[in-house]
Amino acid sequence: MTEKSAASSQISPSFVLVVDDNEMNRDMLFHLLQAAGHTTFVAENGRQALEMIKEKPFDLVLLDIMMPEMDGYQVLEHLKSDRALRDIPVIVLSALDEIGSVVKCIEMGAEDYLPKPFDPVLLRARIGACLEKKRLRDQEVSYLKDVAHVTSAAAAVERGQFEAEILTGVAKRPDELGQLARVFQRMAREVYAREQSLKQQVQELRIEIDEGRKARQVAEITETDYFQQLRKRAKEFRNRGQKSDK
Amino acid sequence: MSKIICIHSFRGGTGKSNVTANVTTLLAADGQRVGVIDTDIQSPGIHVLFGLDETKMVHSLNDYLWGKCAIRETAHDVTPHLDADIKGRVFLIPCSSKATEIARVLREGYDVGLLKDGFHKLIKDLKLDVLLIDTHPGLNEETLLSIAISDVLAIILRPDQQDYQGTGVTVEVARKLDVPRMVLVVNKTPPVFGFAEVQSRVEKAYNCQVAAVLFHSEEMMVLASGGIFVLRYPDHPLTAALKQVAANLLA
Repeated sequence: MTEKSAASSQISPSFVLVVDDNEMNRDMLFHLLQAAGHTTFVAENGRQALEMIKEKPFDLVLLDIMMPEMDGYQVLEHLKSDRALRDIPVIVLSALDEIGSVVKCIEMGAEDYLPKPFDPVLLRARIGACLEKKRLRDQEVSYLKDVAHVTSAAAAVERGQFEAEILTGVAKRPDELGQLARVFQRMAREVYAREQSLKQQVQELRIEIDEGRKARQVAEITETDYFQQLRKRAKEFRNRGQKSDK
Repeated sequence: MSKIICIHSFRGGTGKSNVTANVTTLLAADGQRVGVIDTDIQSPGIHVLFGLDETKMVHSLNDYLWGKCAIRETAHDVTPHLDADIKGRVFLIPCSSKATEIARVLREGYDVGLLKDGFHKLIKDLKLDVLLIDTHPGLNEETLLSIAISDVLAIILRPDQQDYQGTGVTVEVARKLDVPRMVLVVNKTPPVFGFAEVQSRVEKAYNCQVAAVLFHSEEMMVLASGGIFVLRYPDHPLTAALKQVAANLLA
Protein backbone atom coordinates (compact mmCIF):
# COMPACT_ATOMS: atom_id res chain seq x y z
CA MET A 1 0.00 0.00 0.00
CA THR A 2 1.44 3.32 -0.97
CA GLU A 3 0.47 6.52 0.71
CA LYS A 4 1.72 9.87 -0.40
CA SER A 5 0.47 12.77 1.60
CA ALA A 6 0.49 16.27 0.22
CA ALA A 7 -0.53 17.82 3.52
CA SER A 8 2.22 20.41 3.38
CA SER A 9 0.81 21.94 0.20
CA GLN A 10 -2.78 21.48 1.25
CA ILE A 11 -4.94 24.46 0.45
CA SER A 12 -8.25 22.64 0.46
CA PRO A 13 -9.63 20.11 2.91
CA SER A 14 -10.40 17.60 0.15
CA PHE A 15 -9.06 14.06 0.46
CA VAL A 16 -8.69 12.32 -2.90
CA LEU A 17 -7.81 8.69 -3.59
CA VAL A 18 -6.24 7.65 -6.87
CA VAL A 19 -6.76 3.95 -7.76
CA ASP A 20 -4.68 2.71 -10.67
CA ASP A 21 -2.41 -0.29 -11.23
CA ASN A 22 -0.16 1.74 -13.51
CA GLU A 23 2.54 3.57 -11.57
CA MET A 24 3.02 6.27 -14.17
CA ASN A 25 -0.68 7.07 -14.15
CA ARG A 26 -0.68 7.16 -10.35
CA ASP A 27 2.26 9.55 -10.22
CA MET A 28 0.84 11.84 -12.84
CA LEU A 29 -2.54 12.03 -11.12
CA PHE A 30 -0.89 12.46 -7.74
CA HIS A 31 1.06 15.50 -8.94
CA LEU A 32 -1.89 16.96 -10.74
CA LEU A 33 -4.04 16.69 -7.60
CA GLN A 34 -1.30 17.87 -5.29
CA ALA A 35 -0.77 20.91 -7.49
CA ALA A 36 -4.49 21.65 -7.14
CA GLY A 37 -4.04 21.60 -3.33
CA HIS A 38 -5.69 18.27 -2.47
CA THR A 39 -4.43 15.76 0.05
CA THR A 40 -3.86 12.78 -2.17
CA PHE A 41 -3.48 9.06 -1.51
CA VAL A 42 -2.86 6.30 -4.02
CA ALA A 43 -3.82 2.64 -4.24
CA GLU A 44 -2.54 0.01 -6.68
CA ASN A 45 -5.68 -2.07 -6.96
CA GLY A 46 -9.30 -2.29 -5.92
CA ARG A 47 -8.74 -4.30 -2.77
CA GLN A 48 -6.17 -1.86 -1.42
CA ALA A 49 -8.47 1.01 -2.37
CA LEU A 50 -11.40 -0.39 -0.38
CA GLU A 51 -9.21 -0.89 2.69
CA MET A 52 -8.05 2.73 2.53
CA ILE A 53 -11.55 4.08 1.93
CA LYS A 54 -12.79 2.32 5.06
CA GLU A 55 -10.07 4.02 7.10
CA LYS A 56 -10.22 7.58 5.76
CA PRO A 57 -13.09 9.88 4.88
CA PHE A 58 -12.32 10.50 1.20
CA ASP A 59 -14.07 13.28 -0.70
CA LEU A 60 -13.38 11.79 -4.13
CA VAL A 61 -12.08 8.60 -5.73
CA LEU A 62 -10.43 8.52 -9.17
CA LEU A 63 -10.90 4.93 -10.28
CA ASP A 64 -9.32 2.85 -13.04
CA ILE A 65 -11.34 -0.10 -14.35
CA MET A 66 -8.86 -2.67 -15.55
CA MET A 67 -6.84 -3.74 -12.49
CA PRO A 68 -5.56 -7.03 -11.03
CA GLU A 69 -7.12 -8.56 -7.86
CA MET A 70 -10.21 -6.38 -7.86
CA ASP A 71 -11.29 -4.29 -10.83
CA GLY A 72 -13.02 -0.91 -10.88
CA TYR A 73 -16.52 -2.36 -11.35
CA GLN A 74 -16.15 -4.43 -8.20
CA VAL A 75 -14.90 -1.41 -6.27
CA LEU A 76 -17.89 0.60 -7.50
CA GLU A 77 -20.24 -2.21 -6.51
CA HIS A 78 -18.76 -2.40 -3.02
CA LEU A 79 -18.88 1.34 -2.50
CA LYS A 80 -22.45 1.82 -3.70
CA SER A 81 -23.80 -1.08 -1.66
CA ASP A 82 -22.27 0.27 1.56
CA ARG A 83 -24.49 2.84 3.31
CA ALA A 84 -21.53 4.60 4.85
CA LEU A 85 -19.57 4.87 1.61
CA ARG A 86 -22.17 5.27 -1.10
CA ASP A 87 -22.03 9.08 -1.03
CA ILE A 88 -18.33 9.28 -1.93
CA PRO A 89 -18.22 10.47 -5.55
CA VAL A 90 -16.26 8.34 -8.01
CA ILE A 91 -14.80 9.51 -11.33
CA VAL A 92 -13.90 6.57 -13.53
CA LEU A 93 -10.79 6.98 -15.67
CA SER A 94 -10.41 4.16 -18.14
CA ALA A 95 -8.81 3.15 -21.38
CA LEU A 96 -12.05 1.31 -22.13
CA ASP A 97 -13.97 3.82 -24.13
CA GLU A 98 -16.82 1.66 -25.38
CA ILE A 99 -20.15 3.19 -24.64
CA GLY A 100 -21.18 -0.02 -22.83
CA SER A 101 -18.53 0.43 -20.18
CA VAL A 102 -19.40 4.10 -19.73
CA VAL A 103 -23.09 3.31 -19.31
CA LYS A 104 -22.33 0.46 -16.91
CA CYS A 105 -20.19 2.68 -14.68
CA ILE A 106 -22.72 5.53 -14.65
CA GLU A 107 -25.53 3.08 -13.90
CA MET A 108 -23.49 1.62 -11.07
CA GLY A 109 -23.33 5.09 -9.51
CA ALA A 110 -20.14 6.68 -10.87
CA GLU A 111 -20.30 10.45 -10.90
CA ASP A 112 -18.39 10.80 -14.16
CA TYR A 113 -16.41 8.86 -16.75
CA LEU A 114 -13.30 10.07 -18.54
CA PRO A 115 -11.53 8.00 -21.21
CA LYS A 116 -7.76 7.73 -21.10
CA PRO A 117 -5.74 9.51 -22.16
CA PHE A 118 -7.49 12.40 -20.48
CA ASP A 119 -7.16 16.09 -20.92
CA PRO A 120 -5.70 17.52 -17.67
CA VAL A 121 -7.70 20.74 -17.92
CA LEU A 122 -10.93 18.84 -18.41
CA LEU A 123 -10.05 16.47 -15.56
CA ARG A 124 -9.34 19.38 -13.20
CA ALA A 125 -12.68 20.94 -14.14
CA ARG A 126 -14.53 17.63 -13.52
CA ILE A 127 -12.76 17.12 -10.19
CA GLY A 128 -13.62 20.68 -9.14
CA ALA A 129 -17.29 20.21 -10.06
CA CYS A 130 -17.44 16.85 -8.28
CA LEU A 131 -15.89 18.19 -5.10
CA GLU A 132 -18.17 21.22 -5.11
CA LYS A 133 -21.19 18.94 -5.43
CA LYS A 134 -19.87 16.77 -2.62
CA ARG A 135 -19.27 19.86 -0.47
CA LEU A 136 -22.86 21.03 -0.97
CA ARG A 137 -24.19 17.55 -0.24
CA ASP A 138 -22.06 17.38 2.95
CA GLN A 139 -23.41 20.76 3.99
CA GLU A 140 -26.96 19.61 3.45
CA VAL A 141 -26.39 16.41 5.41
CA SER A 142 -24.75 18.31 8.26
CA TYR A 143 -27.61 20.85 8.24
CA LEU A 144 -30.21 18.09 8.42
CA LYS A 145 -28.26 16.39 11.22
CA ASP A 146 -28.16 19.66 13.17
CA VAL A 147 -31.89 20.22 12.59
CA ALA A 148 -32.44 16.72 14.02
CA HIS A 149 -30.31 17.72 17.03
CA VAL A 150 -32.52 20.75 17.68
CA THR A 151 -35.76 18.81 17.29
CA SER A 152 -34.54 16.03 19.56
CA ALA A 153 -33.44 18.69 22.07
CA ALA A 154 -37.00 20.08 21.99
CA ALA A 155 -38.37 16.58 22.63
CA ALA A 156 -35.93 16.19 25.53
CA VAL A 157 -37.19 19.45 27.03
CA GLU A 158 -40.73 18.07 26.83
CA ARG A 159 -39.58 14.96 28.68
CA GLY A 160 -37.74 17.11 31.22
CA GLN A 161 -34.41 15.50 30.29
CA PHE A 162 -32.73 18.35 28.43
CA GLU A 163 -29.02 18.96 28.78
CA ALA A 164 -28.02 22.28 27.23
CA GLU A 165 -24.61 20.87 26.22
CA ILE A 166 -26.09 18.62 23.53
CA LEU A 167 -26.66 21.74 21.39
CA THR A 168 -23.14 23.13 21.76
CA GLY A 169 -22.09 21.92 18.28
CA VAL A 170 -25.16 23.32 16.51
CA ALA A 171 -24.87 26.57 18.46
CA LYS A 172 -21.50 27.20 16.81
CA ARG A 173 -23.10 27.45 13.35
CA PRO A 174 -22.98 31.01 11.99
CA ASP A 175 -26.39 30.69 10.30
CA GLU A 176 -30.01 31.01 11.51
CA LEU A 177 -30.05 27.41 12.74
CA GLY A 178 -27.07 28.24 14.94
CA GLN A 179 -28.92 31.27 16.26
CA LEU A 180 -31.99 29.15 16.97
CA ALA A 181 -29.82 26.66 18.85
CA ARG A 182 -28.11 29.43 20.85
CA VAL A 183 -31.43 31.05 21.81
CA PHE A 184 -32.94 27.66 22.66
CA GLN A 185 -29.89 26.71 24.69
CA ARG A 186 -29.90 30.00 26.58
CA MET A 187 -33.63 29.81 27.35
CA ALA A 188 -33.39 26.20 28.47
CA ARG A 189 -30.42 27.08 30.70
CA GLU A 190 -32.36 29.97 32.23
CA VAL A 191 -35.42 27.80 32.92
CA TYR A 192 -33.17 25.10 34.36
CA ALA A 193 -31.38 27.62 36.59
CA ARG A 194 -34.70 28.98 37.80
CA GLU A 195 -35.99 25.50 38.58
CA GLN A 196 -32.78 24.66 40.38
CA SER A 197 -32.99 27.81 42.44
CA LEU A 198 -36.60 27.00 43.38
CA LYS A 199 -35.62 23.43 44.24
CA GLN A 200 -32.80 24.82 46.31
CA GLN A 201 -35.29 27.07 48.07
CA VAL A 202 -37.57 24.21 48.89
CA GLN A 203 -34.68 22.12 50.09
CA GLU A 204 -33.85 24.99 52.33
CA LEU A 205 -37.50 25.48 53.20
CA ARG A 206 -36.96 26.35 56.78
CA ILE A 207 -39.89 27.66 58.63
CA GLU A 208 -38.15 30.13 60.81
CA ILE A 209 -40.23 31.69 63.49
CA ASP A 210 -38.72 34.28 65.78
CA GLU A 211 -40.09 32.91 69.04
CA GLY A 212 -39.24 36.03 71.07
CA ARG A 213 -41.02 38.26 68.61
CA LYS A 214 -43.92 35.85 68.38
CA ALA A 215 -44.31 35.85 72.18
CA ARG A 216 -44.39 39.66 72.17
CA GLN A 217 -46.93 39.73 69.33
CA VAL A 218 -49.12 37.14 71.05
CA ALA A 219 -48.87 39.00 74.36
CA GLU A 220 -49.92 42.28 72.73
CA ILE A 221 -53.15 40.57 71.72
CA THR A 222 -53.83 38.22 74.60
CA GLU A 223 -53.08 40.69 77.38
CA THR A 224 -55.85 43.07 76.37
CA ASP A 225 -59.03 43.15 78.45
CA TYR A 226 -61.02 42.37 75.35
CA PHE A 227 -59.11 39.14 74.78
CA GLN A 228 -59.31 38.08 78.42
CA GLN A 229 -63.08 38.46 78.38
CA LEU A 230 -63.35 36.75 75.03
CA ARG A 231 -61.31 33.85 76.31
CA LYS A 232 -63.56 33.41 79.31
CA ARG A 233 -66.64 33.45 77.17
CA ALA A 234 -65.45 31.51 74.14
CA LYS A 235 -66.82 28.24 75.40
CA GLU A 236 -70.12 29.83 76.25
CA PHE A 237 -70.28 31.37 72.76
CA ARG A 238 -69.83 28.02 71.10
CA ASN A 239 -72.35 26.32 73.37
CA ARG A 240 -74.89 29.01 72.76
CA GLY A 241 -74.33 28.44 69.10
CA GLN A 242 -75.35 24.83 69.49
CA LYS A 243 -78.37 25.74 71.63
CA SER A 244 -79.68 28.14 69.05
CA ASP A 245 -79.52 25.29 66.55
CA LYS A 246 -82.15 23.38 68.35
CA MET B 1 -75.40 19.95 64.17
CA SER B 2 -74.36 23.22 62.56
CA LYS B 3 -70.76 24.15 62.24
CA ILE B 4 -69.06 27.52 62.25
CA ILE B 5 -65.85 27.55 60.24
CA CYS B 6 -63.57 30.54 60.35
CA ILE B 7 -61.20 31.03 57.40
CA HIS B 8 -58.33 33.28 58.26
CA SER B 9 -54.90 34.39 57.16
CA PHE B 10 -52.56 36.65 59.04
CA ARG B 11 -51.47 38.50 55.94
CA GLY B 12 -53.40 39.59 52.86
CA GLY B 13 -52.96 38.08 49.40
CA THR B 14 -52.99 34.45 50.51
CA GLY B 15 -56.08 33.68 48.42
CA LYS B 16 -58.28 33.36 51.48
CA SER B 17 -61.48 34.66 49.89
CA ASN B 18 -60.91 32.49 46.85
CA VAL B 19 -60.45 29.35 48.96
CA THR B 20 -63.49 30.31 51.05
CA ALA B 21 -65.70 30.83 47.98
CA ASN B 22 -64.60 27.51 46.44
CA VAL B 23 -65.03 25.53 49.65
CA THR B 24 -68.46 27.14 50.13
CA THR B 25 -69.48 26.09 46.63
CA LEU B 26 -68.19 22.53 47.08
CA LEU B 27 -70.10 22.13 50.34
CA ALA B 28 -73.29 23.48 48.77
CA ALA B 29 -72.86 21.27 45.70
CA ASP B 30 -72.73 18.39 48.16
CA GLY B 31 -76.16 19.36 49.50
CA GLN B 32 -75.24 21.55 52.47
CA ARG B 33 -77.00 24.79 53.30
CA VAL B 34 -74.03 27.08 53.57
CA GLY B 35 -73.83 30.64 54.79
CA VAL B 36 -70.73 32.64 53.96
CA ILE B 37 -70.20 35.91 55.73
CA ASP B 38 -67.68 38.52 54.73
CA THR B 39 -66.35 40.15 57.88
CA ASP B 40 -63.56 41.86 56.00
CA ILE B 41 -65.33 45.19 56.44
CA GLN B 42 -62.27 47.22 55.48
CA SER B 43 -61.60 45.45 52.20
CA PRO B 44 -64.58 43.31 51.22
CA GLY B 45 -64.41 41.20 48.08
CA ILE B 46 -65.94 37.74 48.26
CA HIS B 47 -69.23 39.01 46.74
CA VAL B 48 -67.37 39.58 43.45
CA LEU B 49 -66.51 35.87 43.26
CA PHE B 50 -70.18 34.98 43.65
CA GLY B 51 -71.15 37.47 40.96
CA LEU B 52 -73.10 39.69 43.33
CA ASP B 53 -73.15 43.22 41.99
CA GLU B 54 -72.83 46.02 44.57
CA THR B 55 -75.94 47.66 43.10
CA LYS B 56 -77.93 44.44 43.66
CA MET B 57 -77.05 44.22 47.35
CA VAL B 58 -80.25 44.84 49.23
CA HIS B 59 -78.62 45.03 52.60
CA SER B 60 -75.06 44.45 53.65
CA LEU B 61 -73.51 43.39 56.93
CA ASN B 62 -72.83 47.09 57.53
CA ASP B 63 -76.60 47.80 57.62
CA TYR B 64 -77.03 45.11 60.27
CA LEU B 65 -74.18 46.50 62.34
CA TRP B 66 -75.70 50.03 62.16
CA GLY B 67 -79.04 48.57 63.29
CA LYS B 68 -80.74 49.31 59.97
CA CYS B 69 -81.95 45.76 59.38
CA ALA B 70 -82.07 42.24 60.75
CA ILE B 71 -79.15 39.96 59.93
CA ARG B 72 -81.44 37.72 57.93
CA GLU B 73 -82.17 40.57 55.53
CA THR B 74 -78.48 40.83 54.63
CA ALA B 75 -78.35 37.24 53.38
CA HIS B 76 -78.39 36.91 49.59
CA ASP B 77 -79.16 33.54 48.08
CA VAL B 78 -76.48 33.46 45.39
CA THR B 79 -77.09 29.81 44.42
CA PRO B 80 -78.70 30.77 41.07
CA HIS B 81 -75.67 32.97 40.27
CA LEU B 82 -73.48 29.88 40.33
CA ASP B 83 -75.33 28.53 37.32
CA ALA B 84 -74.49 24.95 38.28
CA ASP B 85 -76.06 21.83 39.68
CA ILE B 86 -76.04 22.78 43.36
CA LYS B 87 -78.07 20.53 45.65
CA GLY B 88 -77.73 22.79 48.68
CA ARG B 89 -77.84 26.59 49.00
CA VAL B 90 -75.33 29.36 49.27
CA PHE B 91 -76.33 32.41 51.32
CA LEU B 92 -73.89 35.25 51.10
CA ILE B 93 -73.75 38.00 53.69
CA PRO B 94 -71.68 40.66 51.94
CA CYS B 95 -69.97 43.73 53.25
CA SER B 96 -70.56 47.03 51.60
CA SER B 97 -67.77 48.04 49.26
CA LYS B 98 -68.97 51.66 49.20
CA ALA B 99 -66.14 53.93 50.24
CA THR B 100 -68.37 55.97 52.57
CA GLU B 101 -69.52 52.85 54.39
CA ILE B 102 -65.97 51.60 54.81
CA ALA B 103 -64.86 55.02 56.05
CA ARG B 104 -67.69 55.04 58.58
CA VAL B 105 -66.62 51.69 60.02
CA LEU B 106 -63.05 52.88 60.33
CA ARG B 107 -64.17 56.18 61.89
CA GLU B 108 -66.91 55.09 64.24
CA GLY B 109 -66.31 51.39 64.80
CA TYR B 110 -69.23 49.18 65.75
CA ASP B 111 -70.38 46.83 68.44
CA VAL B 112 -68.37 43.70 67.68
CA GLY B 113 -70.68 41.73 69.99
CA LEU B 114 -73.42 42.16 67.39
CA LEU B 115 -71.47 39.89 65.10
CA LYS B 116 -71.70 36.97 67.51
CA ASP B 117 -75.48 37.32 67.80
CA GLY B 118 -75.67 37.73 64.05
CA PHE B 119 -73.77 34.51 63.39
CA HIS B 120 -76.06 32.50 65.64
CA LYS B 121 -79.17 34.08 64.28
CA LEU B 122 -78.12 33.36 60.71
CA ILE B 123 -77.63 29.68 61.48
CA LYS B 124 -81.03 29.51 63.08
CA ASP B 125 -83.03 31.62 60.62
CA LEU B 126 -81.53 30.16 57.47
CA LYS B 127 -81.28 26.63 58.89
CA LEU B 128 -77.64 26.52 57.95
CA ASP B 129 -75.54 23.40 58.11
CA VAL B 130 -72.36 25.40 57.88
CA LEU B 131 -71.44 29.02 58.35
CA LEU B 132 -68.12 30.10 56.88
CA ILE B 133 -66.58 33.33 58.08
CA ASP B 134 -64.23 35.12 55.70
CA THR B 135 -62.15 37.29 57.99
CA HIS B 136 -60.01 40.39 57.67
CA PRO B 137 -56.25 39.67 57.72
CA GLY B 138 -54.53 40.39 61.02
CA LEU B 139 -56.02 39.78 64.44
CA ASN B 140 -58.48 42.57 65.14
CA GLU B 141 -61.44 42.28 67.49
CA GLU B 142 -63.95 40.88 65.01
CA THR B 143 -61.44 38.26 63.87
CA LEU B 144 -60.70 37.25 67.44
CA LEU B 145 -64.42 36.98 68.08
CA SER B 146 -64.89 34.93 64.92
CA ILE B 147 -62.16 32.56 66.07
CA ALA B 148 -63.64 32.39 69.59
CA ILE B 149 -67.02 31.39 68.26
CA SER B 150 -65.84 28.90 65.62
CA ASP B 151 -65.79 25.14 65.77
CA VAL B 152 -63.07 24.97 63.16
CA LEU B 153 -60.39 27.46 62.26
CA ALA B 154 -58.62 27.16 58.92
CA ILE B 155 -55.55 29.31 58.54
CA ILE B 156 -54.37 29.97 55.00
CA LEU B 157 -50.70 30.66 54.40
CA ARG B 158 -48.31 30.71 51.50
CA PRO B 159 -44.96 28.89 51.64
CA ASP B 160 -43.27 32.21 52.26
CA GLN B 161 -41.10 33.40 55.13
CA GLN B 162 -43.33 36.46 55.53
CA ASP B 163 -46.36 34.28 56.27
CA TYR B 164 -44.65 31.92 58.71
CA GLN B 165 -44.26 34.37 61.58
CA GLY B 166 -47.83 35.69 61.45
CA THR B 167 -49.23 32.18 61.16
CA GLY B 168 -47.26 31.28 64.29
CA VAL B 169 -48.92 34.15 66.15
CA THR B 170 -52.40 33.18 64.91
CA VAL B 171 -51.94 29.52 65.88
CA GLU B 172 -50.81 30.52 69.38
CA VAL B 173 -53.67 32.98 69.89
CA ALA B 174 -56.23 30.48 68.58
CA ARG B 175 -54.95 27.85 71.02
CA LYS B 176 -55.55 30.28 73.87
CA LEU B 177 -59.13 30.60 72.63
CA ASP B 178 -59.50 26.79 72.79
CA VAL B 179 -60.66 26.42 69.18
CA PRO B 180 -61.91 22.81 69.00
CA ARG B 181 -60.22 22.18 65.65
CA MET B 182 -57.58 24.03 63.77
CA VAL B 183 -56.07 23.20 60.36
CA LEU B 184 -53.64 24.91 58.04
CA VAL B 185 -54.03 25.28 54.27
CA VAL B 186 -50.86 26.04 52.33
CA ASN B 187 -51.88 27.98 49.25
CA LYS B 188 -50.12 29.22 46.09
CA THR B 189 -47.39 26.60 46.40
CA PRO B 190 -45.06 26.65 43.36
CA PRO B 191 -45.47 23.28 41.54
CA VAL B 192 -41.70 22.71 41.76
CA PHE B 193 -42.01 22.26 45.52
CA GLY B 194 -42.43 18.77 46.89
CA PHE B 195 -45.91 18.89 48.38
CA ALA B 196 -45.39 16.09 50.87
CA GLU B 197 -42.26 17.84 52.08
CA VAL B 198 -44.06 21.18 52.45
CA GLN B 199 -46.89 19.48 54.31
CA SER B 200 -44.64 17.66 56.75
CA ARG B 201 -42.49 20.71 57.46
CA VAL B 202 -45.47 22.98 58.03
CA GLU B 203 -47.17 20.42 60.27
CA LYS B 204 -44.00 20.02 62.29
CA ALA B 205 -43.39 23.77 62.59
CA TYR B 206 -46.87 24.52 63.96
CA ASN B 207 -47.77 21.15 65.43
CA CYS B 208 -51.00 21.46 63.51
CA GLN B 209 -52.63 19.42 60.76
CA VAL B 210 -52.33 20.61 57.15
CA ALA B 211 -55.67 20.07 55.37
CA ALA B 212 -54.10 20.45 51.94
CA VAL B 213 -51.19 21.93 50.05
CA LEU B 214 -52.72 23.86 47.15
CA PHE B 215 -50.40 24.59 44.27
CA HIS B 216 -50.10 27.80 42.35
CA SER B 217 -52.22 27.47 39.21
CA GLU B 218 -52.05 29.59 36.09
CA GLU B 219 -55.74 28.93 35.45
CA MET B 220 -56.60 30.24 38.91
CA MET B 221 -54.46 33.32 38.28
CA VAL B 222 -56.20 34.02 35.00
CA LEU B 223 -59.68 33.41 36.38
CA ALA B 224 -58.84 35.57 39.43
CA SER B 225 -62.17 36.94 40.70
CA GLY B 226 -63.95 36.07 37.47
CA GLY B 227 -65.83 33.14 38.97
CA ILE B 228 -65.69 30.02 41.08
CA PHE B 229 -62.71 27.90 40.06
CA VAL B 230 -64.16 24.49 41.03
CA LEU B 231 -67.17 25.10 38.80
CA ARG B 232 -65.11 26.35 35.88
CA TYR B 233 -62.49 23.59 36.16
CA PRO B 234 -64.27 20.59 37.70
CA ASP B 235 -61.57 18.13 36.64
CA HIS B 236 -58.54 20.25 37.51
CA PRO B 237 -56.12 18.80 40.12
CA LEU B 238 -56.53 22.00 42.12
CA THR B 239 -60.26 21.31 42.34
CA ALA B 240 -59.46 17.87 43.76
CA ALA B 241 -57.23 19.51 46.39
CA LEU B 242 -59.98 22.02 47.27
CA LYS B 243 -62.40 19.12 47.72
CA GLN B 244 -59.91 17.70 50.16
CA VAL B 245 -60.03 20.98 52.09
CA ALA B 246 -63.85 21.01 52.09
CA ALA B 247 -64.02 17.41 53.33
CA ASN B 248 -61.46 18.11 56.02
CA LEU B 249 -63.30 21.17 57.34
CA LEU B 250 -66.49 19.19 57.68
CA ALA B 251 -64.82 16.15 59.26
